[in-house]
This record gives sequence, structure tokens and C-alpha cells, in this order.
Amino acid sequence: MSRENKDVLYGLYDDEQDLLKAVDHANADHLEIMDVFTPFPVHGLDPKLGLAESRLHIAGFIYGAIGALTAFLFMTWVFTRDWPIIFGGKPYWSVPAFIPITFEVTVLMASVGMVVTFYTICGMAPGIVSPTLDDRITDDKFCIAFDVTGADDSVKSKMESFFAASGASEVNTKTI
Amino acid sequence: MNQFTFDSRLKTTLIGFMVLGLACLGLTFLVDDELHTRFWTNYLHNTVFFTGIAFMSLFILTAFTTAWAGWHTVVKRIWEAYSMFMVPGLVLMLLVVAGVVGHFHHLYHWADAEAVASDPVLKGKSSFLNAGWYTLGTLVIVGIWIFFAWKVRQLSLDEDKNGTTEYKQHHKLRVWSAAFLPIAGFSSAAVIWQWVMSIDAHWYSTLFAWYTGASWFVAAMALTILTAIYLKGQGYLEYVTIEHLHDIGKYMFAFSIFWTYLWFSQYMLIWYANVGEETVYFFHRQQNYPVLFYGNLLLNFVAPFLILMRNDTKRKYGTLIFTSIIVFFGHWWDFFQMIKPGARMTAMEALAHHGGENGHEVAEHAEQLGFAMGFTIPGLLELGTMLGFLALFAYVVFNRLTKASLLPKNDPYLAESLHHHVEIHGEEGAH
Repeated sequence: MSRENKDVLYGLYDDEQDLLKAVDHANADHLEIMDVFTPFPVHGLDPKLGLAESRLHIAGFIYGAIGALTAFLFMTWVFTRDWPIIFGGKPYWSVPAFIPITFEVTVLMASVGMVVTFYTICGMAPGIVSPTLDDRITDDKFCIAFDVTGADDSVKSKMESFFAASGASEVNTKTI
Repeated sequence: MNQFTFDSRLKTTLIGFMVLGLACLGLTFLVDDELHTRFWTNYLHNTVFFTGIAFMSLFILTAFTTAWAGWHTVVKRIWEAYSMFMVPGLVLMLLVVAGVVGHFHHLYHWADAEAVASDPVLKGKSSFLNAGWYTLGTLVIVGIWIFFAWKVRQLSLDEDKNGTTEYKQHHKLRVWSAAFLPIAGFSSAAVIWQWVMSIDAHWYSTLFAWYTGASWFVAAMALTILTAIYLKGQGYLEYVTIEHLHDIGKYMFAFSIFWTYLWFSQYMLIWYANVGEETVYFFHRQQNYPVLFYGNLLLNFVAPFLILMRNDTKRKYGTLIFTSIIVFFGHWWDFFQMIKPGARMTAMEALAHHGGENGHEVAEHAEQLGFAMGFTIPGLLELGTMLGFLALFAYVVFNRLTKASLLPKNDPYLAESLHHHVEIHGEEGAH
């Protein structure tokens, strides 16, 4: 995956309540937030950023349904067509005995499928190094980041004054 | 509005339904066989079902208290009120107990001395399955439950009046709640063996108590949703938001799956082991009561699983009410299919032994039972009786709700419950 470098202007906040207020402030100023980074999920942040609900669970349902059908139909095929064996006097097509395996494969397919989908969406894979703005956003800092690639100075100064007004403890730029 | 008023219009409606229930019970008695099997099974079925819901409400309340749960505080008065139905439930149950002692019904095969004398299986179980234990079990166990329900209620009311920031009452409540959980776990099993499982006196299942417990639990959650939405519609419980209903909906969903898991675990082990004494229970139901058997799974697993799986269906009144009604009816149906087939067999054997009308003939053809309204499927009389019992339950509950503020004022978790908010994307969906 190739992508161009971005110039990022970001501010760090000490508290999630400050962050939530700052996001409101940025929205009121019509500043376009590139992303917000927090060390833990902040309640009420998603609607403020206008993020849509994840559709990962829909994918999960589809994977699960595929898993259920695969397991059930495979066992049906094996035990009625391919290699019928009598177990304990039960009929070839013994639905109750298929249920636990159907359940397991459903769970397996849904969970593995969702993990792979999630990683793909996020562009993550083993060996890929994800650039970080600041290591402290994985610890105790809350970060609002603006994309300032090719932006003129008036926009930048507007953002800087926003950070100052909304109580950011630190403002930096970084190219990632 | 924190103070519920039980207005006379609602009272009249509920009394009307109770009269309907009584009329249905009376009619059932008249159109019944000579042992009045349909009447007695309907009576036992509804009494056990609603008393169980009352018991489970206390269990839910004490379990949440023990788990230091905070979200449920705004609805806890509903469960306190539910748990009080155990008192009329015990009174209703006393009639069944009296029937076991006085032999004026034939619900239980083991209560028939002649049958026990000629049956080694029943003889072997007679040290537990006898009138003495039945009476003692019912009285003592439900008595203990009522005592705990009373204690929990007293502490909660005392907290309303004299609660301070030391939360003395809540600390006591925690101790009583924790003490109740193991008692509830073991005693509910013993009671359900006596009341319901012993109807199929030859059969037993170690999973039965859990399975019926799950059934009560789901029914209690469904009824809680309906009650809360009704009260909200009347202008009460304005602080119970869609967030709380969402959580109760999750419980209804989760425990529907739990119920299915237990149902299937019980079914599959018995099916797989294929021991005649065990399979007879399911064989009988699948052969002669297919509507009950498969309908049970449709109502209590397929419907809630598919409807409640999505997030938004647990956050809308329409789907919540719809599913709650299905699931509540479904678990009533579940108890119906636990009780009816066995009691019908017992009655047939009793009729055959006592030389009743066509008794022998009926018992010989027991392998292929014909359709019988009120046994093969619930008839209109059963539905009417259920509505009557439901009205009685509602009457007791609403009457209880008038006795205290709907909002537990000094509960330490009140603030947490009032601010309860689980859904990130809930703002748009919460209409």
C-alpha cells in the first residue's frame, strides 16, 4: 500500500472531558478533524465526530450463516451420500448430533471472518508498522489531529488558536 | 410521577379478566373427564408458571444486588412487586397440595397408592415422592422465599425512609441477597421436581430444574418489559429510558439462548444415550404432541433469536413488545407441554385401574393418542384461564406498586442507574 505523507497538526489534552468539549468547539468552528486518538474508548465521542455505526456485525452474521450452512450441509452430504455409517443405531441423517458441530463452525467462521475483515479494513497485517503521532496517546493523552498538508498559514493559525482556546496542553506538527 | 395510583378503571379491567379466568376454569371443570384432568392441569400449570415468575424476580433482584449492578435500580420496584405474588401463589398451590393429601385430583401418578404398590419404580421413589414431602417442600420452600422477599422489600422501604450516605440498609440487603442465591438455587430445583417433573413420575432429568428456571427467567424479563412500557405509557417511570429497556431486552435475548442451550442439552443426551426410561418423555411428546414440541422451539428460540439479534430491535418499543408477548406466551406454552402429556397419561391409567368409562380401551391405545383440546394444543379455555391468572398477577403487582415510591430514593446506585447509557449510537435510534 502506497500513500502520500501527510502533515499533521495535533493537540494533546490531559482529560477526556476536555477532549469532548474541544471536539464540540472544533465542530462549532467548522474545523475538519482528521482523527481523534484516545488511550481508551471515550463514551459519547463517536456521535460528536459523526461516525457511522460499524457494519462489521452484518459481515459477522453473513460469515456465521455461511459457517452454519457449510457445517450442516457437509455433514449431511458425508453421512447420507458419501460415507453412510450407522452410529449407535441412529439414522444416517441424525440432526441432533449435527447441532453441536454446526454451532462450533458457526462461531469459528463468524469470529475468524470478522477478525480478518477488521484487519483488512484497518489496513493492518503482521509486519505493518503503523505511524504514531505521539506515544503518549496510548498512555494518558487525548489527541485531536488536523490534516494540514498544503494548507495555508491562515488555516493553520486558526487551528492553533483553536487549540489554545480549547485548553490543549501541547501542540505539535508531524509528518507521517 | 413517582407515586403510582391504581385507578379504578384498571382495577375493573383486571377484575373483569379475573372473572373471565374463573369462568374458563369453571367451564373446563364442566366439560372435563371424570377426574377433571384438564381443570387440574390448567390450575397447576398457571399457578406454577406465575409463582415461578415471582420467585425468579426475587432471584433476579438478589443476583443483581450481589453483582453490584447499578443499571437496574430504576426498575427494581417492579421486581419487588412481582416477588410479592409468591404469597397468593402459595395460597393457590395449597389447593394442589390439599388435593395430593386428600386424593381429590389425579395429577401425580405417585400419589396413587395402588399404582405405587404394583410399580417398583414408583416404590423406589416413594421415600421422596409422597404427600408428606410434597406438602413440606411446598410450604417450607415457598415460605422461605416469601420470607426473603419480605426482608428485601423491608430493607428497600427502610432505605427510602431512613437511608443515609452510610447505606446501612444496602449493606444489609447485600448480605441477605447473597444468602438467598444458594438457597434459591437448590430449593427451586427441589420444588420443580415435586411440582412438575414428578408428573412424569417414572422419568427424571438432572437438567430439568435449570431448564425450567431459565423458562421462568425469560418470562419474568418479558413481563418486566411489558410492565415498564405500560407504566411509561401511563406517565410513570419517566426516568426509565430506552437504555434500561435495551438491557432488559438483552437479558431476554441472552436467556432465550440459554434456555435453548439447556433444552437441547437435555434433549440430545437423552436422544443419544437412548435409554428407554429416559427417551419415553420426548418420544411421547414428539409422537403425540408435535405442535407443542416443535412450537416450543419456534416460540422460544427461533423467534427471539432472529428478532432480537439486531441491536435496534432491542431499542424500539414495537419490536420489544412484540417479542415480549411471543416469548411470554412461549414459556407459558413450554410449561404447558411439560405438564399436560404426563398428567394425561396418569389420568388414563387411573381411569383404567378404577374401571372408569372406556378406561381400559384408552390406556391400551396410549401409544397413539388422539387429538384432545386442552392437551394436544392449548384451547380457548386455557387462554382464558391464563388471562385470568395474568390479571390476578397484575392486580397483586399494581397493588404493591402503590405502596411505595416507584423510584428507590436513597439507593446508592440510583445516580448510576439514572445516568445509565450503553449505546454509542443510541441518540438517533432512541425514539
